[in-house]
Amino acid sequence: MPIFIFKRILSTIPVMAIVALFVFSLLYIAPGDPAAVIAGDQASPADVERIRQNLGLDRPFLIRFGEWVWQIVHGDLGISIFTSLPVRDLIAQRVEPTLSLMVVTLLFAISVAVPMGVIAAWKAGTWIDNSIMAFAVLGFSVPVFIVGYLLAYLFALQLDWLPVQGYTPFREGFWPWFENLILPAITLGFVYIALIARITRATMLDVLQQDYVRTARSKGVAQSSILFVHALKNAAIPIVTVIGIGLALLIGGAVVTESVFAIPGLGRLTVDAILRRDYPVIQGVVLLFSFVYVFVNLAIDLIYTLIDPRIRY
Amino acid sequence: MSSKDKIGPSAGHDKIGLDRRTFLKTAAATGAAAASTGIYMPALAQSTAVKTLRFVPQSNLANFDPIWGTQYVVRNAAALVWDTLYGVDDKLQPQRQMVESEENSSDGLTWTFRLRSGLKFHDGSPVTAKDVVASMTRWSARDPMGLMIKAIQAELTAVDERTFKWVLKKPYPKMLLALAKNNAPCSFIMPERIAMTDPFKQITEYIGSGPMMFARNEWVPGAKAVFEKFKDYVPRKEPASWLAGGKNMLVDRIEWVIMPDAATASAALQNGEVDWWENPITDLVPILKKNKNINVDIADPLGNIGAFRMNHLYPPFNNVKIRRAILAAMNQEDYMRSLVGDDDNLWKPLPGFFTPDTPLYNEEGGEILKGPRNLDAAKQLLAEGGYKGEPVTCIVAQDQPITKAQGDVTADLLKKLGMNVDFVATDWGTLGARRALKTPPGQGGWNMFHTWHAGADCINPAAYLAVRASGDKAFFGWPDIPAVETEVTNWFDAKNLDEEKVAMKKLNKAALDNVVYAPTGFFKGYQAWRKNVTGVVKGPLPFFWNVAKA
Repeated sequence: MPIFIFKRILSTIPVMAIVALFVFSLLYIAPGDPAAVIAGDQASPADVERIRQNLGLDRPFLIRFGEWVWQIVHGDLGISIFTSLPVRDLIAQRVEPTLSLMVVTLLFAISVAVPMGVIAAWKAGTWIDNSIMAFAVLGFSVPVFIVGYLLAYLFALQLDWLPVQGYTPFREGFWPWFENLILPAITLGFVYIALIARITRATMLDVLQQDYVRTARSKGVAQSSILFVHALKNAAIPIVTVIGIGLALLIGGAVVTESVFAIPGLGRLTVDAILRRDYPVIQGVVLLFSFVYVFVNLAIDLIYTLIDPRIRY
Repeated sequence: MSSKDKIGPSAGHDKIGLDRRTFLKTAAATGAAAASTGIYMPALAQSTAVKTLRFVPQSNLANFDPIWGTQYVVRNAAALVWDTLYGVDDKLQPQRQMVESEENSSDGLTWTFRLRSGLKFHDGSPVTAKDVVASMTRWSARDPMGLMIKAIQAELTAVDERTFKWVLKKPYPKMLLALAKNNAPCSFIMPERIAMTDPFKQITEYIGSGPMMFARNEWVPGAKAVFEKFKDYVPRKEPASWLAGGKNMLVDRIEWVIMPDAATASAALQNGEVDWWENPITDLVPILKKNKNINVDIADPLGNIGAFRMNHLYPPFNNVKIRRAILAAMNQEDYMRSLVGDDDNLWKPLPGFFTPDTPLYNEEGGEILKGPRNLDAAKQLLAEGGYKGEPVTCIVAQDQPITKAQGDVTADLLKKLGMNVDFVATDWGTLGARRALKTPPGQGGWNMFHTWHAGADCINPAAYLAVRASGDKAFFGWPDIPAVETEVTNWFDAKNLDEEKVAMKKLNKAALDNVVYAPTGFFKGYQAWRKNVTGVVKGPLPFFWNVAKA
């Protein structure tokens, strides 16, 4: 196992290198010029050129790429073109809100979606199953921002139970932190619940046809025990896989959710950076997301071994 | 819990009375406190001794160097932190601000300025003439009026601690206007060590002598910017009027909460989570007007001028007949309705280039934009101009509602005229780079793009680069019309308002006859604030002085 983990960590290096080269190249050929955005309407072409030189944007691709890689190797993600702040600091400011949103969303979505999927499988073909699947279709179909607006309208504007927007750091207390995350997490969790509930139902349906389940039933094992102890554990691998893959969905959804609820997270940082062509920030954030994704995949592989003792690396 | 670290101000907002959420929070807190003492402190227990005004600005404060970055949002924030030598009032007249007195020599070549006593920077150091000299040197390297002054500058020197002298090679009658104007970049005064920064590099220390200090440690670009009252600021005695007069701060702390989503900003204002929203979108204004806790009024009486610019370097718009065909066909009402909807308070037709209701506004030569539109006559002009169906590359930024709406109207207009439209939907960042290209439209260049100009920039030619027609040095599209430039020079040399008006009438006519650009109309926007906030005024930027919160 340790050798496997070590090899997997090593394998992230070429992955990250390819991602880095890809992102850098993509930004290099993308249209747009941060120097023109900075200079503003009143600037002369000479002014724009001087800003471009100061930012080092006039240098050849390979030199810029080489310098960036050298910085990365030394743990430096560079300086934001627009804020003049280190990219590392900008990301650090934004990690907590996004991480909080993801954790709360994940916990909420899993705790709702897995029981929903299990119940749907148990009651397959009944109105309960149909209702849950109808909800799942709705979850996939309704855009995140619509759900966000509706929830904000109902729970913030009409009922005045929760805030419309914003984020309070965890160090300010649990409830202030949590109350700002309730609506965004439900909003973001909506799609995720749909995804997990559907896959849980499908795998559970398969597992519930197995002989050992029939044996358990014939032995008089309680239904809840069959569902949640025997069957669910054996259905868990595809569910865990989907939860992991769904993290990418979560990252994408967070961009919209953070905008709707004015949460200062990494999603908004990315969008703002893209619109302004703040190359170092875009590169830094994409690299971070890639790393997280690779790391999550590794974590899922390890979780497999816990769920299914037959799996060994 | 203090609201200090709140990013998005829902905690600790200053609602009067006990609302449902506060009640629920308190109830929840009681339970939570019983379970784990110390992890939560109810909002009701918070002190509201510090008066905090929460403001939603027009866009993100992505950088904070008002000379390096000329975005309006930077200028607006900078006006809190850095003071200016002069400031324009609501009559558009320059008034003394940091300056106590000035003297212009009889030949008009030497200006001597004396600073007010007791001026201090936020780090406690006194404001001296050396700081002013360094600041003016940096400003004059970037500002259009500053560049004009720099071109005729003989010397700029500090005479003593509070006096500095600006010696010119020829008179510059608009000196005080240049130092007072609110167009970016404004002539903000910084400490010498900061002002020595290359004007093309960003400053990293935000020390000014204005009424508020920038709380850099609380700055989250894209989310929040905080300003705290500068206790040692000495406001002028005169009543405040825009950038002039006494800048008395009646709140201790101003939090700028950046909200990229208009619907969220609207909800936050209605919910009392923010106090003032700089630019609510027109669609949401009816909802805000219905709310008994919210005031809605025009934000800036000087408004904005919509524009689409044609590339004078390449066919078909290198031909004045074709440019005039567009003017003859375009209906400004179509453009304005696409921007402001049915609200007639928000727009005016603009048969000219200058901001309506300002002294130099005139409609000389504007007949082509008035009256019923005649597409047949426009088509005739197109034919006379020799238009042969070549593609017209129209680049339209889709991420800016103002440019998108105008672009859609123009595309429709050109199609009605039988023109071959190559509609390039893009974003503002890409447009910003592409419009600077002078290559032919088929090789990465362009034929037309849309934009808009703040009315405050269009009250005279001083900072109005868009109306200039100096060829290579002109704004994108590069019109080369000597008659326009002659009148710009005449305006700069004018000795009184009457002379200025004569020059501007001629300029307006020459600019319309030759179509420097196509004005699509004059439009304004609203601002909205909660009724417990008083002192909000209309102006070209949000003025926070004398704004109080009950």
